[in-house]
Amino acid sequence: MNNESNIPQTVDQIISEKGTAKRSVVPILQAIQNTFNYLPEEALKYVCQKTEITPEQIVGVASFYSQFRMQPAGEHIIKVCVGTACHVKGASQVYDALRRHFNLTGNEETDASRKYTIEKVSCLGCCTLAPVVQIDEITYGHVASDKVENVLADFEKHAGISSVKKGLFRNVDGSEIQGEIRIGLGSCCVASGSENVKKAVEETIAHTGIRISLKNVGCVGMCHQVPLVEVIPINEKPTLYAKVKPEDVAGIIASHFKPLGTFSMLKNSVYKFFESVQTDTVWDGVKQYSIDAREKQVSDFLDRQIPIATQHRGIINPLDIKEYERHEGFTAMKTCLMELTSEDIIETIKDSGLRGRGGAGFPTGQKWSLVAENKSDVKYLICNGDEGDPGAFMDRMLLESYPYRVIEGIVIAAKAVGATQGFFYIRAEYQLAVKRIRQALVYCRENNYLGENIIGSGFSFDITIYEGAGAFVCGEETALMQSIEGQRGFPQIRPPFPAVSGLWKQPTLINNTETYAQVSYIIREGPAKFAGIGQGTSKGTKVFALAGKVNRGGLIEVPMGITVRQIVEEIGGGVQNGKKFKAVQIGGPSGGCIPAELYDTPIDYESLHEVGAMMGSGGLVVLDETDCMVDIAHFFLSFTQNESCGKCTFCRVGTKRMLDILTKITTGKGTLKDLDELEYLAGWTKKGSLCGLGKTAPNPILSTLKYFHEEYIAHIEGRCPSGKCQSLIKYQINDLCIGCTLCAQKCPTEAILFKPHEKHEVITDLCIKCDACRQVCPVDAVEII
Amino acid sequence: MIKLTIDNRTIEVQPGTSVWQAAQSVGIEIPTMCYLEGTEHFTSCMICLVKDAKNGRFFASCSTPVIEGQVIISNDEETIESRKAALELLLSEHVGDCEAPCQLVCPAHMNIPLMNRLIAKGDFEKALEVVKRDIALPSILGRICPAPCEAGCRRKQVDESVSICLLKRYVGDEDLKSGKPYQPQLAELSGKKVAVIGSGPAGLAAAYYLQIKGHQAVIFEKNSGAGGELLQIGSEILPAEIIEQEVAQIVATGVQIKLNEFIDDNSFTELQTKFDAVVVATGTVAEGTSAFFLKTTKTGIEADKSSYLTSIPKVFAVGNSLRASKLAVRSVGQGKEVATIIDNYFKTDEVSGYPERFNSKFGRLAEVEFIQYQKDSENAPRQKADQSGFTKEAAIREAKRCMHCDCRNPESCVLRELSHRYQAVQKRFQTSERLNVEKFIHREGIVYEPAKCIKCGICVRLTRQHQEEFGFTFIGRGFDVKIDVPFNESVQKGLEKTAAIVAKACPTGALAMFGVEEQL
Repeated sequence: MNNESNIPQTVDQIISEKGTAKRSVVPILQAIQNTFNYLPEEALKYVCQKTEITPEQIVGVASFYSQFRMQPAGEHIIKVCVGTACHVKGASQVYDALRRHFNLTGNEETDASRKYTIEKVSCLGCCTLAPVVQIDEITYGHVASDKVENVLADFEKHAGISSVKKGLFRNVDGSEIQGEIRIGLGSCCVASGSENVKKAVEETIAHTGIRISLKNVGCVGMCHQVPLVEVIPINEKPTLYAKVKPEDVAGIIASHFKPLGTFSMLKNSVYKFFESVQTDTVWDGVKQYSIDAREKQVSDFLDRQIPIATQHRGIINPLDIKEYERHEGFTAMKTCLMELTSEDIIETIKDSGLRGRGGAGFPTGQKWSLVAENKSDVKYLICNGDEGDPGAFMDRMLLESYPYRVIEGIVIAAKAVGATQGFFYIRAEYQLAVKRIRQALVYCRENNYLGENIIGSGFSFDITIYEGAGAFVCGEETALMQSIEGQRGFPQIRPPFPAVSGLWKQPTLINNTETYAQVSYIIREGPAKFAGIGQGTSKGTKVFALAGKVNRGGLIEVPMGITVRQIVEEIGGGVQNGKKFKAVQIGGPSGGCIPAELYDTPIDYESLHEVGAMMGSGGLVVLDETDCMVDIAHFFLSFTQNESCGKCTFCRVGTKRMLDILTKITTGKGTLKDLDELEYLAGWTKKGSLCGLGKTAPNPILSTLKYFHEEYIAHIEGRCPSGKCQSLIKYQINDLCIGCTLCAQKCPTEAILFKPHEKHEVITDLCIKCDACRQVCPVDAVEII
Repeated sequence: MIKLTIDNRTIEVQPGTSVWQAAQSVGIEIPTMCYLEGTEHFTSCMICLVKDAKNGRFFASCSTPVIEGQVIISNDEETIESRKAALELLLSEHVGDCEAPCQLVCPAHMNIPLMNRLIAKGDFEKALEVVKRDIALPSILGRICPAPCEAGCRRKQVDESVSICLLKRYVGDEDLKSGKPYQPQLAELSGKKVAVIGSGPAGLAAAYYLQIKGHQAVIFEKNSGAGGELLQIGSEILPAEIIEQEVAQIVATGVQIKLNEFIDDNSFTELQTKFDAVVVATGTVAEGTSAFFLKTTKTGIEADKSSYLTSIPKVFAVGNSLRASKLAVRSVGQGKEVATIIDNYFKTDEVSGYPERFNSKFGRLAEVEFIQYQKDSENAPRQKADQSGFTKEAAIREAKRCMHCDCRNPESCVLRELSHRYQAVQKRFQTSERLNVEKFIHREGIVYEPAKCIKCGICVRLTRQHQEEFGFTFIGRGFDVKIDVPFNESVQKGLEKTAAIVAKACPTGALAMFGVEEQL
């Protein structure tokens, strides 16, 4: 962290890198915060002195984006993910437990020692590990409210230790390779510890001398099994290991490869492994988790899927450009640049029936031709990677794992519409994605896939990265462009559409990341093949983030037209823990709930719209009988309400009032009249709001009101049938209690009256409903009434 | 040129014209708050929503350019409802009083804060004029009124209420003593005549305001002196000469008072034929007695609550004849109201209720807000008065205790005007705690009250346009967004060039010039 005494020098340095134009404001602020850990007012004033940026602009912008802090934060930042998947698995109780741990009251976010700052984040993109807590760079999965102390203890233990020495991995030339080990390095894998697994592999290789190549691959999609390690011995069938722990690695390697080294090597280090392999329980553990591609589970998970955006998944190293080329990478781009005209490309895309994957589903070819028609010397192209749904992480996965495919799609689109400059707009929280794309852009330039006169075609185009600063509304295209221009992310009324007047009033093509990722396949395989997948007006595939109460969550790419039931039952392996399927929430805060009676609804734009849901950006959260639908509506509305930009009345005040009413209902204070008012406000917020955020914000309410009306009535009568809404439930201990005192030990408020070996009792007045007792009880004696 | 239809009218305008401007060009008025000509549109208030007839979708007309062949609806039930909904949402977070609580509590609805401010400035004549807009008998009421207004006074929460009643008496007495008492501007005579039966507070007030509006009022009083029940009050409280002098002021406007004229059932019928309207202000009607063939209830004559119209056409009843009460101010208020009702009836040939204006209100002050309100007042204890009322100095000091609870922009506020027009209900969506009131006061310049702001951003655009060094900016986002000066600079510093400009452009009372008086 930088000393605040030399603010002018530091800021001068930042300005010299980022520029003095108004548009540089967000990058400048990001750099200042990176340096000082917050935005010192003195620094902002200094920026105004030295640049075109005005006080009005800098304060307006700094206070708009949630990334920016005006107060210094603690030494470590604890991020509690409150995305949908985490929410349904108790994230708010984890958050409360952390606050209790640090004795935080009111609006305090930093503990008294200024060591930790606690923040809620909308989604860390590790939905399959829910609930997730991130402390600085370390991510903890499956955190229960009673595990908070363990997490902090573990962090304290590791925080001081420098990471394992790098460079132990020995590169070997092809002939000597005994095989290959692939380790998933998507965000879920990394969060679940794949980095440590990778280190263990490197160490093992170094110690044993086994000649295998270690390869990092992008997300395989099977996020429910992370970390994943695939071992591919030469001429043997590959084996996929799931949920691998670092201590498992030596055993796995030993079972596939014979050490080549000298006897002495065997003797000193490896010998120990083999001994432990025979005797240690660790090995059993791995065996349990070992999954084979031929096993039913895995084939169910993969068979229904059609990888297009995620083609060659689990095979390609995200940043290995040569490997991408070997897998037909950039051939579509070459065809487009060297052989096809702009019209040809657009015609092909039109024929494929591709529609925008960002949610609204506007026909992509049509959008391209609108931009192409507008003659202008300057045209921009934007790749929208500002995925912000709590419970969706497709864009992140595509950017992290398939950077070249996205770039290839972008260059093709640029040629088709005649764009002169491109932007990647990537959400601030997606650090890994930014890193990968940045590197991929460098490699592309080195290979002349970007830049002047791309591969000699005469077409020149390049892309720069713009990091979002934490505003869900910037996923809306007009707000996103405002953001790039260095303004608050206020959406603008359309028309004019971006195709006519977009970024800096120039014609602009803006598509979602996934849309671009589909393009090269269409060019390469022909539009007919793509259009042959899917149904009706929804062609091709869609990537979903499957999470919630499902056995096998993860990223899936499925053909349009597949039913909800097929996704949940066949790909997802059904509802977890034998619970009853209640609904699937699709489309995040803009979407709706599809109830059990509509289980066979096909996933396509029109069908989803008809049942009151929406493709959205592709979050798919499975809910079971223990989930309260009013609570779900409340959850999504708190999200949108918090993310409303505050520009138009219906969204700014309407979402707040709807949330107030929902809070009233979930705390048992609602009336039947409140339901009418809720519906009235939902109706007008939908009809009257300026942008898509407000127009779709009421959807979670409208769809739950429609399909789960009786649950609303129950709350008004003072009951929460699923036992979720804290004000409406009580904890009690039943006769199954064995008197073990575990619950009493965990209880943070001493609300459990106990005598060892006798049935315990909950003192309701003291109980804060943190659920710790229920989680810890070994015999399910704690129940909610 | 682009051709479109708005409310079935075909309009031709230049490309690039907004739908709102197109409507305006042919006299179709679409309301707006956040749009200000000369600044770019911002699409915030959403009051200007109109409907695209082809797909039923709503859009903001102020920001949308016309499209060839468009068919727009701006006035159907659903569009009207959209405006009401938007207004009710804005009102749900609008913390401010259009009119001060004292004024709302006053049965005669007297503009108390304005009177106080004028007294504080030493302008007693203007103060009296303001009083007389609503109260025909200020010196009398200044002696006998139980002053419900003082119960409503916010200052009561801080220390003690402002001594409103005595202040009114002071300006009333000063006027009578001046030798040339105030005479209101009289409208030209309309030729209409109204009979007023009874010369108590209600009858006197009714006659006074009818006369001002140009309708000849004739009072029929059964006793030998005017004043009705006022004459029953002991002279140590209400000296007879005060009654005489104030009645004289009423007579001076042209009102005729016929003393010793008892109206019985026969003469009542006669009055009905001779006069264009009759106001019954006879005082308490004893239970079981009849009153000129009029329907009665337990308490008195039966009349419509808002128009005072009795069971007989053209016959109105006010004051204690409706229900016995010791509140003379209520009778005086009703007298004023019935005059307006009759005036409207003469003009439109229809009897409608007394026009009630929309009033935003927020109730009691929170303790933390005392200090905000005290900024607008002087911190002094309630002044004492002896039998002869306030001295000049005491009156001025007392008036300065008034905290200016009323809005500075009650007439120009678009939010109030539209809320009135669309009958918006402020309480409808007040589902959570209100904001605390803050007042930033620059006595030589502007007053900013953020809790009245609708976040339309007009001021932000204007300060940017005029290149203020600091200006206003949006701070935060979503529901909690507020408009303020960057870097916590003072409002004064933020608005060095534009204070008057933004105050004029603000569609609510959030920004106003310090000394502005819109109701003078």
